[in-house]
Amino acid sequence: MSDFSGMEDLLQDFLQEASDLLSDVDNKLVDLEKMPDDRGLLNDIFRGFHTVKGGAGFLNATELVTLCHLTENLFDRLRNGELELTPELMDVIMAATKGVREMFGELGQMVQPQPADPDVLAALQGALSGDQPVPVAAPAAAPAPAAHEAAPEPSAATGEPDWSLLHAAVAGQPAAQAPVSELITKAEAAAGGIAVTPAAGVPAQASGQQAPASPYGRRATDRPGAQPVNARRAEERVRENTIRVDTSRLDQVLNLSGEIGLTKNRLTSLRADILAGKNDSETLHALDQAVSQLDLLVSDLQNSVMKTRMQPIGRLFQKYPRIARDLARQLGKDVELVLAGEETEVDKTMIEDLADPLIHLIRNAVDHGVEMPAERQAAGKPSKSLVRLEARQEGDHIVLIIADDGKGMSAERIRAKAIEKGLISEEEANTLDERQSLNLIFLPGFSTKTQISDVSGRGVGMDVVKTNIQKLNGSIEIRSEPGKGSVFMISLPLTLAILPVLLVLLGDQPFALPLSLVREILPIEQSRIQEVGGKETLVVRGEVLPVITLSRLLGWPREHYPEYGVFMQTAERSFILGVDSFAGRDDAVIKSLEDFRPKGVAGVTTLSNGQIVLILDMKELLSDIGQHVDIGSAVRALDFA
Amino acid sequence: MADPKMRFLVVDDFSTMRRIVRNLLKELGYTNVDEAEDGAIALQKLQGGGFEFVVTDWNMPNMDGLTLLQTIRATPNLKHLPVLMITAEAKKENIIAAAQAGASGYIVKPFTAGTLSEKLNKIFEKMGQA
Repeated sequence: MSDFSGMEDLLQDFLQEASDLLSDVDNKLVDLEKMPDDRGLLNDIFRGFHTVKGGAGFLNATELVTLCHLTENLFDRLRNGELELTPELMDVIMAATKGVREMFGELGQMVQPQPADPDVLAALQGALSGDQPVPVAAPAAAPAPAAHEAAPEPSAATGEPDWSLLHAAVAGQPAAQAPVSELITKAEAAAGGIAVTPAAGVPAQASGQQAPASPYGRRATDRPGAQPVNARRAEERVRENTIRVDTSRLDQVLNLSGEIGLTKNRLTSLRADILAGKNDSETLHALDQAVSQLDLLVSDLQNSVMKTRMQPIGRLFQKYPRIARDLARQLGKDVELVLAGEETEVDKTMIEDLADPLIHLIRNAVDHGVEMPAERQAAGKPSKSLVRLEARQEGDHIVLIIADDGKGMSAERIRAKAIEKGLISEEEANTLDERQSLNLIFLPGFSTKTQISDVSGRGVGMDVVKTNIQKLNGSIEIRSEPGKGSVFMISLPLTLAILPVLLVLLGDQPFALPLSLVREILPIEQSRIQEVGGKETLVVRGEVLPVITLSRLLGWPREHYPEYGVFMQTAERSFILGVDSFAGRDDAVIKSLEDFRPKGVAGVTTLSNGQIVLILDMKELLSDIGQHVDIGSAVRALDFA
Repeated sequence: MADPKMRFLVVDDFSTMRRIVRNLLKELGYTNVDEAEDGAIALQKLQGGGFEFVVTDWNMPNMDGLTLLQTIRATPNLKHLPVLMITAEAKKENIIAAAQAGASGYIVKPFTAGTLSEKLNKIFEKMGQA
C-alpha cells in the first residue's frame, strides 16, 4: 500500500510542478553566486522553497516541509540583509536543494521521504542561529518532544479570533473593544493551532536555540532499511508519465476531430446514396471532395497531435547549469554554461532520452574540454571558460550544439591512443582523416584520460552517447581545433512517430527503408560489378562501394541479380543495397512490434492498400552480414496475420 | 452552508495548490470556482464581475496576495468582496498586515476541508450580520 493512496494524481501534479520550480531555483542559485545581493533572485528562491513547502504540507510530507522551511527561513534572512551569503553557506544551500530533489525522487516512488541529511539540517540551523555554517556533529538522538503529538484543532468558538473586531482594532476604528495585542495573540494561537503538521514538525523557526535533534531521530528508526542511496536511485528512475499541453493546441485537436466527424457524416450519407445506385457525376464529385477534405483534415490532425507532444527543450536544459557549476567547483575550474534556444520544441520522448547523453557531453566538456584557470591564463585566454549549449530547428531537424572554448582535441593524439588501446591497427590509423580520427572517441573502450572522480563514474562513455543518439535516428559530429575548443553537433529528426521511408521490392514483397539513410538510387549493370577481395563492388563517381543485396541481408535465395541499387549511408559505412524494384516513398506511421521483434526490423507500417510492410533496421541487418536473419518467418507471419 | 452556486476565485501561482483548494471547496459543495495565477490576473478577472468570494495565496509573483487584498478594498465595486488569505505562516506581522488590509479571514497551510468550512462559515456569519 502506498503512502499516498487516493492522492496519486495530486502527487503527480505536485511533483511535476515542484520539480520545474526546483530546477528554476537551481538556476537562480547559479546566478546568485555571481550576484549574491540580487534581491529579485533572493525573493524568487525564497518563494520557490515556500511554495514547495506549502504543497508538501498537503501531502503530509513532513520531512520535505522541514527542509524547505529551514531553507526558506535562511533566504528570508538573506533577503532582509540579516545574513551574508558566503561560499560555505552557498554549499549548504546547494546541499539542501539536492536534498529536496532526492525527496521528490522518494515521493515519485510513492513513499514518504526520509529525513534529510542531519549534517545539512544542522548546518541550516547553525546558519539561522547566526553561526557560520560549520559541519555540526550529528545531533544527539533526543526523544521527540511533545510537539510531535498533533495539537488538537481549536474549536471555532475558542480559537477563532474575531476578524472584524481585529480589523477594527488595528485600523484604529472605535468599534474595538479588546486591546489589539490580545486579539493578535488570539489570532496567532488560532492560526498556529491549525497549522498542526508543519508547525509541529519544524523546529522552532529561525530561533536556532533549540537542539535540532527532534524530528530526525524519529523517522530514522521508523525505517531502518532505507538509505539515502536508495533515494538517489529512486530519483533517477522517475520518468514523467504526464505532459503539459498548451490548451490552444488541445483546442485545435478538438476542432479538427470535430471537422473529421462532420466529413465522416458526409461520407456516410454519400455511401448510402451510392449503394442505392446513385452514381451521377454530381455524387461522385461530392465523394471526391469529401475524401480530399478528409485527407487534409487527417494530416492536420496528425500534425496537431504531434504538436501536443512537443515540449520546449529548455525544460531539459535548465538542469544543466547547476550540474556544470557543481562539477566545475569540484574540479577547481571556472566555467559558465551558456544556454541558447531553450524555446526550441522537441518530442517529449526525445527530451527524456536526450537527458543522459547531454549530461555526459556537458560533463565531458567541463572535465576534459576546458582547462584549469592557470593553464588558460598561461595560454592567454580568459580564466573563465565558456561552455555553450544550444538548440535550434533547421528544416525538419533539430540541431543541438555543445561547444567549449577549451584546449580542443588533437587528431594525432586520438589516433595514437586508439592504437595503444588496440582499437585500431596502425595501418588503419594512417588511412583516417581528421574527422574520422576525432570519431574514434566514440569507439567502445576509448578514453583519452584515466577515468576520474564521478565524472565518468556513471558508466556512460562516448560510445553510449553515440548509441543513444542513433537510437533516436540522430547523428553526432565533432569539430575541434587544438587550442580553441571543441564542438559536438547532434542532429535529430523532429519526431520519432513518423518516418519518411523508401519502399523497395524484393520479388513482389515490399520493404521500407528509412529515407534519411538513402543518398541516391541507381541502376545496376551487372557488367560494371567488380570483385575486390572476393566482394562485389561498384564504382560510383570514383568511390568504390560494396554491393550488398537485400536478398543476402535477409537470407533469401537470390533468384536473379538485382536491377537497382540504393546508395545508403549509415554512420559507419556507405554501400549499395541491391533491390529488384521500387514501390515509391511514404511517410510511415511506425507501429512497433513490442513482443515480437525479429532482429533487423525496426517496426511495421501499413500501406494505402492495407498491406503491412516491415521497416528495416539497416544497422542491425548489417551487423549480421553472413548470418541469416530470419526475416522470412516474420514476413510469413504477417501474411498469415 | 451558503449558496452552493456561490462563485469563488482561487488565486495561487502554484497550480497544484489551486487544484487542492478547488477540490476542498468541491468537497464542501462549492463547484463554481475559477482560478487565477497571481494578483494581477485575479484583479482582471474580478473586474470582469460575477465573483462572490476570493481565496488567495499570499506569496505570489507580479502581485502578491496582500497587494491584491489592498487593491480590492480600495476599489469601490469590489471592496465588499470577502477575501480569505491562505499562507504557510502564522507569524504575528503577517496577521497584523492581513488584518490591517481588511482580510475577512486567515488560514494556514495545510488545512482540511473541515477547517476551510469553519473559516468560510465564520465569514458568512459576519456577512449575514452586516
